[in-house]
Amino acid sequence: MDRRSFIKLTAVTGTSAALASCGVPENQLIRFVPDEDIVPGVAVWKPGVCPLCAAGCGLTVRVMDADADVARNGQLGVVRIAAAKKLEGAPNHPVNRGGLCARGQAAIQVTYHPDRITQPLKRAGERGDGRYEAISWDDALADVVSRLDGLEEAGNQRALAFLSRGGASHRAVLIEQFLARFGAPPPAVYELFGDEVLRRANATSFGREQLPTIDLANAMFVLSFGADFLGTWNSPVAQAAAYGVMRQGRPGIRGGFVQVESRMSQTGASADEWVPARPGTEGVLALGLAHVIMAAALRPASAAGRAGALVDGWSDGLRSYTPEQVEKITGVAAARVVRLARQFAEMRPSVAVVAGPPLAHTNGLFTAVAVNALNALVGSIEQPGGVFFTPQVDLAAALKMSGRAAGAPAPPFRLQREGADDPHIGDAQVLLVDGANPVFTAPRVWGVDQALAKVPYIVSFGSFLDEMAVLADLILPDHSFLEAWREAVPESGATVAVASVAPPVMRPLYQTRSTPDVLLEVGRRLRRPLNLPWQTFDQMLAAAFAALPSASPDADAWTDAQAKGAWSGPVPPGLGRAASLPAPPAARPIAFEEPRFDGDAGQFPFHFLPYPSSAFLDGSLAHLPWLQEMPDPLTSAMWSSWVEINPAAAERLGIGQGDVLEIASAHGSIRAAAVLTPGIAPDMVAMPVGQGHRTFTRYASGRGANPVEALAPMTEPATGALAWAATRVRVSRVGPPDGRLVLFAGGMREHVEEHR
Amino acid sequence: MCAAAVAAGAACSWYEPAASSTSIAPVGPALPGQPGGVFTTARPTVGAAVDDFLNRPSEPRQPIEFPHDVHVGKNVACEFCHEGVDKGPAAGLPSVRTCMICHEAIATDRPRIQQITALRDKGLDLAWQRVYGFDNEDSVRFNHAPHIRAKVECATCHGNVAEQTVAQRSVEHTMGFCVNCHNERQAPVECVICHY
Amino acid sequence: MPRWGMAADLDRCNGCGACVVACHAENNISTVGPEEAARGRAKHWLRVERYWEGDFPDVRVTFRPVLCQHCDNAPCEPVCPTYASHHTEEGLNAQVYNRCIGTRYCANACPYNARFFDFFNPSWDKPLHLQLNPDVSLRMVGVVEKCTFCVQRINGAQVQAKAEGRGVRDGEIQPACAQSCPSRALVFGDLDDPESQASRLSRSPRGSHLLEDTGSRPKVAYLARQA
Repeated sequence: MDRRSFIKLTAVTGTSAALASCGVPENQLIRFVPDEDIVPGVAVWKPGVCPLCAAGCGLTVRVMDADADVARNGQLGVVRIAAAKKLEGAPNHPVNRGGLCARGQAAIQVTYHPDRITQPLKRAGERGDGRYEAISWDDALADVVSRLDGLEEAGNQRALAFLSRGGASHRAVLIEQFLARFGAPPPAVYELFGDEVLRRANATSFGREQLPTIDLANAMFVLSFGADFLGTWNSPVAQAAAYGVMRQGRPGIRGGFVQVESRMSQTGASADEWVPARPGTEGVLALGLAHVIMAAALRPASAAGRAGALVDGWSDGLRSYTPEQVEKITGVAAARVVRLARQFAEMRPSVAVVAGPPLAHTNGLFTAVAVNALNALVGSIEQPGGVFFTPQVDLAAALKMSGRAAGAPAPPFRLQREGADDPHIGDAQVLLVDGANPVFTAPRVWGVDQALAKVPYIVSFGSFLDEMAVLADLILPDHSFLEAWREAVPESGATVAVASVAPPVMRPLYQTRSTPDVLLEVGRRLRRPLNLPWQTFDQMLAAAFAALPSASPDADAWTDAQAKGAWSGPVPPGLGRAASLPAPPAARPIAFEEPRFDGDAGQFPFHFLPYPSSAFLDGSLAHLPWLQEMPDPLTSAMWSSWVEINPAAAERLGIGQGDVLEIASAHGSIRAAAVLTPGIAPDMVAMPVGQGHRTFTRYASGRGANPVEALAPMTEPATGALAWAATRVRVSRVGPPDGRLVLFAGGMREHVEEHR
Repeated sequence: MCAAAVAAGAACSWYEPAASSTSIAPVGPALPGQPGGVFTTARPTVGAAVDDFLNRPSEPRQPIEFPHDVHVGKNVACEFCHEGVDKGPAAGLPSVRTCMICHEAIATDRPRIQQITALRDKGLDLAWQRVYGFDNEDSVRFNHAPHIRAKVECATCHGNVAEQTVAQRSVEHTMGFCVNCHNERQAPVECVICHY
Repeated sequence: MPRWGMAADLDRCNGCGACVVACHAENNISTVGPEEAARGRAKHWLRVERYWEGDFPDVRVTFRPVLCQHCDNAPCEPVCPTYASHHTEEGLNAQVYNRCIGTRYCANACPYNARFFDFFNPSWDKPLHLQLNPDVSLRMVGVVEKCTFCVQRINGAQVQAKAEGRGVRDGEIQPACAQSCPSRALVFGDLDDPESQASRLSRSPRGSHLLEDTGSRPKVAYLARQA
């Protein structure tokens, strides 16, 4: 016997026999009978719809067998399931055409998140302390029904409120129908980075209360005023696909691209030329370009039509917007204004885009209207390489329901109602919450949490215990998007009408229920039933899609759409949302007004810009570990909060990379690490929104800081939208780097070690 | 920590100086019904690690004594139960649903069949143990389908199952075993054909 | 015999990071968490680098997705004492995990920082592990891992093509990064096929290779931003 065998022998007879009993022997594994037949190891691709933003991208989901841990009848075991494995962009989807952004790919972690709420929960502790006990669906629904019956008996149906994130969808139609039939006001919609100002401007300028679809693929010159169209705004995958074509997809032709903004966004980083204008003066620059174009007789003033007529002084050639005057207001050199104007007028087709920070000022509507007029002046509306509006199916009409009057402006988000039929949340007796989290995304001074504290009964349909759900008395967890019928009606991203739809990709992992189905069931169980004409959400979808013409000769529209993951095509007559809204009667022309900022410039010397982070948007995705660990495109930061500051300003204040800063407005203060970057004006500091969750699963809770907390309650007056770029702050260094800023880059990965 | 401040409506900073540990931990009490546990590639028990180190695969103990010989003798094709074998990487171990395709009607008087029928009625499946297969540390990705297409007999790698009741590990799947056959058949022997 | 390579058009790339997450999803790359990330142990087989030029207000940025360059003369290969890092006939720079003994010589030799050491056995909070791709093995503690050009997809496509009695078509194989890219900045293909899209792009006058002067002969061509 050689030495090796001896060691083997002793080990086998002695040690290993003793150790084999440590841990759970695999032989006692309990297996449950699978619910479906699955060929092991073979991938099946199924259509899906991305739920993370309003873009409504189509997915193709790789589904394979996997062994899931489950509990059945109180017994723990495993069961073979057909599990989603990977999300990819659907190759033929009219919006995303095969691509998918980082966030969309991480969406699969929503379904498999370890802190998902797995069953209905009833509050067992004080509001906000996160103690809940399990409750059956039957008891939970009975509880909701009795509350609603109570309102009905008291004739107080208007005390039912619904809070959601908006966007056109069949789900939203169902919610509206539910509320209308019950006698409650329409849902209150809150979205921190909503585009209400731009929609209102487009309604005014072009008669379309809608986000634009930019035909970048055919444009020769793109002038973007703050729009992060490659990163976080509108339909980023569709826009990035078109951007790739604009740059290198046309033999011998390369489109030019200039970005106007005072903090360089991911999109601005790709521009040929980056033009920092003073915050809130971007509209003046747009009118300066229009002035030069008209003065040089490159285009007549009349070319802008209705969009131009809205601007004060347009017909006179905008005499108060000479390049010199524009330089004085915006800080952009007069010669540059002239050059940009000539480029914009001569490199046809050219298109201007506006969104994001320029519209988040008190004069945001002016800025948007000014850029719209500039587009109209050069004839870029509904022309190749210009601005289009995706035709919209009137979902309510397709279902033969009456809905919100087409084109009526969306009601602003308010905590307390003004008119009796206004949406609200603060005066509710019963509040239902679907998706929105204003506790995190609204300025602290609005007092959303105090208003919610007065609501006696809050029901959340959330899947995670975030700042909003933790205030709920009852949580009725929704299925994940892969477990339920999903649909979206993209507002933008294609030049034909699109409706994405997909059947469930996999069976529900837990005791959750699809929220639309829960609403339908509650509607049936009420003492006075709501008589919604569908038993289940997929019946409603079937009815809606049946009204559309089929895109395939072999199948009806509903069958075809399910197979492809989307319906697209021309809108049948009678089902379109109004192609053009009438011009507002005797609209007063809009003139430039100085943007108002909260905080005295002496005491609060910096503009403060909270911006949607590439990873988390408004923070609703901070619970996904892939996105936490994805390096930020401009700073390479992971798992962190940071403040971007210009190196010159930092030097003046004695601030070094990674130092802990305090950012204080008149309404609150936050702390985060400094990142020195040349891509920001010296009188501005910027912070990504997304971190700083008090509670939002193990990956996001207590991590970093939330810049929204310090925002002032400034609004754009016409829409009531939060002017989130209108707060001024002071910046002070409170300490050396504390190791919380984690960067991936910096020459070698050892960069961070050097700082420790 | 900030609960009191928040309840009072005061602003509260959640950013605190680096603690000794910023490890990820659930905040607040766990919710009812949440899944637990962590999945790692490490061996489940110390004993398993030692066995692994000594290249001593554990003897599978099957839930029932499945008679391969009887089924092969009745000309049931291998791929009827191991249905993935000609379609993709994994042959697969059948669930009791597959058994019941035939045994709902056939041989229902046998005690073993009654045993699995009762199991199925309780919603329980047969917890088969793998006889072959590789450990994670082997970093091997084996694909059955191309081997079937190349007309490699099942018996080449799995022995003569027709003579076994419960499948036995009668062929050692060492790398040499694979490479010899690949060389004989002039199949690729590049590392990343199998190891990735 | 193909020779796999990639062309990355920096005029299309806008740094969105879709490729980074696609790579994690496809290749079972575990997240390491903030503490380990702070120690420089985050694993991103593919990262997007950014290069700042100029000072405010004349600032310009170029993004560059950097992954293993699958060098034809790879510096990581001769330093490996166990031949874990080696070159395949199809031009891939392969890492055989079960040969790797964790010397990390290769990671130090790599001029592109494209190799990552596993300091721990990877773990996933259940049920996040249900997402794992069964076509890719899970790397254990003590080995070096890196971009494989999604060799599981290459092998899969070749097996499929052989079953159908044909060759692999250009564009049929897409690594996860290239598949996900919204602006189609990444193009994968056979560099020895003069007609493949990847080889045509690699010959572009805008093309260059990263740190070519090290003599590593990388197979990822970067097409420069214009203007």
